[in-house]
Amino acid sequence: MSTATSFRWLVVPDETAAEPSRDLVGGKAWSLWRMQSLGLKVPPAFVVTTDACAAYFADGGLPDGLADELVTGIRLLESRLGRTFGGSERPLLVSVRSGAAISMPGMMDTILDLGCNDEVEAALAAESGDPDFAAEVRRRFTGFYGRLVLGCTEDLEDLPDTASVRAAISADVDDTVPADPWEQLRAAVASVFQSSRSRRALAYRKHYGIPDDLGTAVTVQAMVFGNLDDDSGTGVLFTRNPVDGTREPYGEYLQRGQGEDVVSGRVTPKPLSDLEERWPTVHGELLEAAERLDREGRDAQDIEFTVQSGELFLLQSRPAKRTARAAVRIAVELVDEGVLDPAEALTRVTADQIRSLLRPEIAAGAADNAEVLVAGVAASPGVATGVVVDTPEAAQANPGCILVRKSTSPDDVHGMIAAAAVVTEQGGATSHAAVVSRALDTPCVVGCGADTVESLVGRTVTVDATTGRVYAGELPTSAVDESEDEDLRRLTEWAESATPLRVGTDVAVEPVFDADTLPAEDLGEQLPAIPAGTKTLRGAVFCAPDGVRAALDAGVDAIVTNHRLPVLLAAIAHQRRTS
Amino acid sequence: MLDFYELTVHTLTLRQLGSAEQLAEINALPVADVEAALEKAVADGAVMAARGNFMITPAGREFLDGVYPRAFAGIRSDDAVTAAMDDFETGVNKQVLALTTDWQTVEVDGARVSNDHADADYDAKIIEKLGRVQEKTQKILAPLIEADPLVERFLDRIGAALTRAEGGETDYVSGVRVDSAHTVWFQMHEHILRLTGRERPE
Repeated sequence: MSTATSFRWLVVPDETAAEPSRDLVGGKAWSLWRMQSLGLKVPPAFVVTTDACAAYFADGGLPDGLADELVTGIRLLESRLGRTFGGSERPLLVSVRSGAAISMPGMMDTILDLGCNDEVEAALAAESGDPDFAAEVRRRFTGFYGRLVLGCTEDLEDLPDTASVRAAISADVDDTVPADPWEQLRAAVASVFQSSRSRRALAYRKHYGIPDDLGTAVTVQAMVFGNLDDDSGTGVLFTRNPVDGTREPYGEYLQRGQGEDVVSGRVTPKPLSDLEERWPTVHGELLEAAERLDREGRDAQDIEFTVQSGELFLLQSRPAKRTARAAVRIAVELVDEGVLDPAEALTRVTADQIRSLLRPEIAAGAADNAEVLVAGVAASPGVATGVVVDTPEAAQANPGCILVRKSTSPDDVHGMIAAAAVVTEQGGATSHAAVVSRALDTPCVVGCGADTVESLVGRTVTVDATTGRVYAGELPTSAVDESEDEDLRRLTEWAESATPLRVGTDVAVEPVFDADTLPAEDLGEQLPAIPAGTKTLRGAVFCAPDGVRAALDAGVDAIVTNHRLPVLLAAIAHQRRTS
Repeated sequence: MLDFYELTVHTLTLRQLGSAEQLAEINALPVADVEAALEKAVADGAVMAARGNFMITPAGREFLDGVYPRAFAGIRSDDAVTAAMDDFETGVNKQVLALTTDWQTVEVDGARVSNDHADADYDAKIIEKLGRVQEKTQKILAPLIEADPLVERFLDRIGAALTRAEGGETDYVSGVRVDSAHTVWFQMHEHILRLTGRERPE
C-alpha cells in the first residue's frame, strides 16, 4: 500500500499514516479515515485534494500530472478488489463525491456507479446473473452524469431506461455521456471542482463571509456489490432503537440486495436476525463495529453496510434520525453511560421535540362512544376543543376556536394563528393548511370532504389531529407532564440549572405582560411587542421558540407556563447562539 | 397593469396584515407611494388600519374584483401564460409542497415524525432540491415574468430565503412569521392566481 506522500494531487487513506487535515481532504474523506483507523473495513478510496482544486482554477483545467495520478489511484483500488475499471470481466465501478471542509449548497454531491459503458453493463449482467440490475446501474449512472456533469436540468430520476435518460439529456444540453470510463472520471472530477464556484455556492459564501478560494476535495471510492451472490447483501443498522431509544441494535438486511433495492422498496428487507442466521460471524463483526461507532460518535448511529461474498464493508455512519421519544431516552442514557455530561445532553433534545411529547391526548376510552362528525388526513398532530368558525376574521375575534375552511390560502394565515386547530374539506398532507399548521404547531386535519364547513360551523367539537377525527362536543384529554416521566424530569432538572430564566407556574414578578389578554388585531404574523421593563411574560406565543428568543432579547426574567422544559430548552439554545 | 393604488390594495391579499414597509418589500413600490395609497384606501374604506398594520376590507376585495379583468386582460388571453400556469400547478407547485412536507417531517421506521433538524445532510438535500425547483420555476413561468416583473421578484425572494436557510436559519424554509421560502412561494402563487383569474386547485 502506497503512502500518502508519494502523490502530488492525491491522498490515499492508509491506516498507518497520520490523519490528513480536513482542509486538504474534506469532511467525507476524513470520516472514512476515522472508520478505517478504528480498524473497520470501508471500500477502498482515494482523495483528490483541495490543492488540486486550487491548481484547477489557477491553470484553467486539470493540473499537470493529475490525469496520471488518477490512473495510479484507480490501479490501487483495482488491486485491492481484484477488479478492473472499464473491464469486461469483474468491472470496477466507483463513486465520485465532493468534500469541502465546509459543505455548501449548489456543489456537486455524489455520482454513483461511474465507469459504466456497454461492455461494463454486459460484464455486470454476466457477473450478477441479473441483466435488470446491470441495466438499472447503467440508467442511474447515466442520470447522475447527465445532471451533475452535463448540467441537464430535466428530471431524469423517473425515466424508465438508459435510452430515455440519454434522449432527455441530449434534448436538453446537446451533449452525451462519454463511453470511455477514464474520460468520465476526469470530467466528473473537473465538474466537482467547477461546482464549488456555482452561482449558489458563490451567493452562499458571499452571504456568510466565507472566502471564495475555498475549494473542494473529491473522494473516489470503489462501489461494492451486495447482489453478487448468496453470500452478499446490504442493510442498515441503528445502534439504538430509533422509535423509543432503547439501547439495542436494530436494522434490516437484504440478501442479494444492492443499496438502492432497499430504498426503492422493490424488495422487502428482512430483520437483522436474518443476517445473524445466515452469517453469524459477519453479524458479530457488524455489531462490534456498530458499538465502536456509537461510542466514537458519542451518539446513536445509522450505519449503512454491504456484505460482498461474506466480506463486510461499512459505507457510512452518521447520527441516526429518531423520534422525539427516542431523542429524550438516548440523551439521558448517554449521560448514564458517562458519554455526555448533562449540559451536552441538553443540546441533543430540541424544544420542539419536547412540545410534541407533551401534547395532550384524548383520555383513554373517552373517544369510544363519542360521535365522529367528520374524518380526514391527520396533518399536524395534537388535540384541541373549541367552537367552529368558518372565516379567519371570526377566528381572530374568538382565539382558541376551531377554524374550518374549504381549503386555506395566505389570506387565512392570521386566522390560523389565532385558531386552536384547523380543519379543511380539501387537500392532503402537503396542502397549504397542512404545511402552515405544522409550522405553527397547530393541530390540523385536512381532506374531510365536501360540506364539512356547513356541517360543523357553530358547533363545539374536539379535533383529534393525531388520528384525523373530529368529534362532537368536548372530550376529556389527558395532560402529560414533565414530572410524570423520569427522563423528562431529569432533563428538566438539568435545564433549570443551565439558564437564569425562571420558568413555571409560580415564577411571576411584576410587571407582567400577558399576551393572552391582547386584542385580536394585535395577534398577527408578528410577535406582540414586549413593553420595556417587563419582568414576566405569560401567553402561549411566548412559550414557542421564537417567543422565548424575543423574551430573552427583551431582558425578561420569567415566563409563566405549565410546561417548563420546552421553554427552558429554547432559552438554552438561544443563550448558546448568542454567547 | 395595476397602478400603485391598486397594487397596494392587491398586496394586502398576498399578506393579510402588514405595515407599509412590509407591503413595499412585496410589491417593490417606494414606501412613500405605499403609504399614500394606504391613506387613500383607508379613506375609501378599502383598507382598515390597526396600529401601523393594514388589512383589506370586503369593500377592498370588491374593488379588486372590478379592477383585475381590465388590468390583466392581456395576460388572461395569452395562451403561453395559460400553458405556463398549467405546468406550474401540476409540476413545481406540487414539488414545493411535497418538499416542504419532507422538510417538516421525517420518516423514522415507517412513521412520519417532526424533523428535528439533527441530520444536516437530510436538510441540505431538501434545500438543494428546493433551489433546483426554484430555478426550474424561473423557466416555467417565463411568460408571466415577461408580463409582470413582480413574479421574478418573488423568485428572487425565495432564493434569498433559501440562502439564509442554507446558513442554518432553518425558519426560512417554512416558518410562518418570517419571509420563508414557503411563505413567499404562497404569496407568489396567490399573486399569479389573481393575475390569471384562476381558482386555487387543491
